[in-house]
Amino acid sequence: MSDEPHYTFPPAAAYRLNRCLHMIKSDSAFCVRFLADPAGAMDELGLGAEEQAALVPIDRDALVGRGAHPYLVFMADLRLRMAREPGTLEHF
Amino acid sequence: MLVGAFACAHTPQLLIRPPTEDRDLVLRVHAAFARVKQRIEALAPDVIAIVAGDHVEAFFLDGVPALAVYAGAECAGTFGSYRYRFPIHEPLARAVVEQGIARGFDLLYTQSAALDYAFYVPLHFTMPEPSVPILPLHVNVYLPPQPLPGRCHAWGTALGEILRARPERVVLMASGGLSHFPGTDRYASPDFDYDRRVLARLEAGRGGELAAVTGEDLDRAGNIELRTWITLLGAVGAVPAQVYCYEPSWHHGNAVVEWPL
Repeated sequence: MSDEPHYTFPPAAAYRLNRCLHMIKSDSAFCVRFLADPAGAMDELGLGAEEQAALVPIDRDALVGRGAHPYLVFMADLRLRMAREPGTLEHF
Repeated sequence: MLVGAFACAHTPQLLIRPPTEDRDLVLRVHAAFARVKQRIEALAPDVIAIVAGDHVEAFFLDGVPALAVYAGAECAGTFGSYRYRFPIHEPLARAVVEQGIARGFDLLYTQSAALDYAFYVPLHFTMPEPSVPILPLHVNVYLPPQPLPGRCHAWGTALGEILRARPERVVLMASGGLSHFPGTDRYASPDFDYDRRVLARLEAGRGGELAAVTGEDLDRAGNIELRTWITLLGAVGAVPAQVYCYEPSWHHGNAVVEWPL
């Protein structure tokens, strides 16, 4: 087990990557656009090919390795799964 | 005056349950929430002041406050299909901002920020009937560097003094925890032993000792959100806690606690 903290200062170089994850998580219109046309949605934010390749499958290790905040990765992934599989969820 | 104090888990799977979650466990946590709701109704508060850590919802990297107070007329947010809106107790909010700053805490205040699900989930289950206004109080837990646990405790102490001097009947609630590691390779390995030691301290009225833990300790134990509880403990003091439930799931230590005042 690593001694590195689980949550670290988000590097400025990953701002757009974290922005995209934040918008998937928190901006429902963007989340719909991402689901329908991931490349188009990511182009809006000026993300490069390697960032896009990690974002489409929500490749956690690749995203965190590029400076993505682990919580944003987690919740963006959860929100996409909620949108794709709404019938499996029980609402209280 | 401060009439009640509670801490509640807020994991979103308690509100929207995917098939990965044990339904019976979720319902047991709901039963503890129902006890909190019943207690709050008996306490007849004028306002619920709720301390939670925004999950990078209202405060993205464009501005990261350590401590913030919602001081608008109302606040609103969304989570999945849930759309929520609450009136804010504006006179109390303004008093907390003004007196908090006068006591040396450089608080950010907002009249428009979105309200994260960390605030909403406990209120969804515990808001008394008829409902009361709220006062959301943010503590940064997810975006390092977070405020020191000792600073959270000191803020809670000041907050408690402010609330006790007010005419309103205030229930103080902390939202968060216990151990979990969302988005990391330890997601399926929370530190339940750490949680149990925390709860034993709280039951013994020794919660103030948590002011001395370090941010590194909290990160290692999956308890970065314990800052919200530590804030509340500053306000509550050495009152022994009553643990309503501790339900460890495969990824999260769910606890619901009251400090009878």
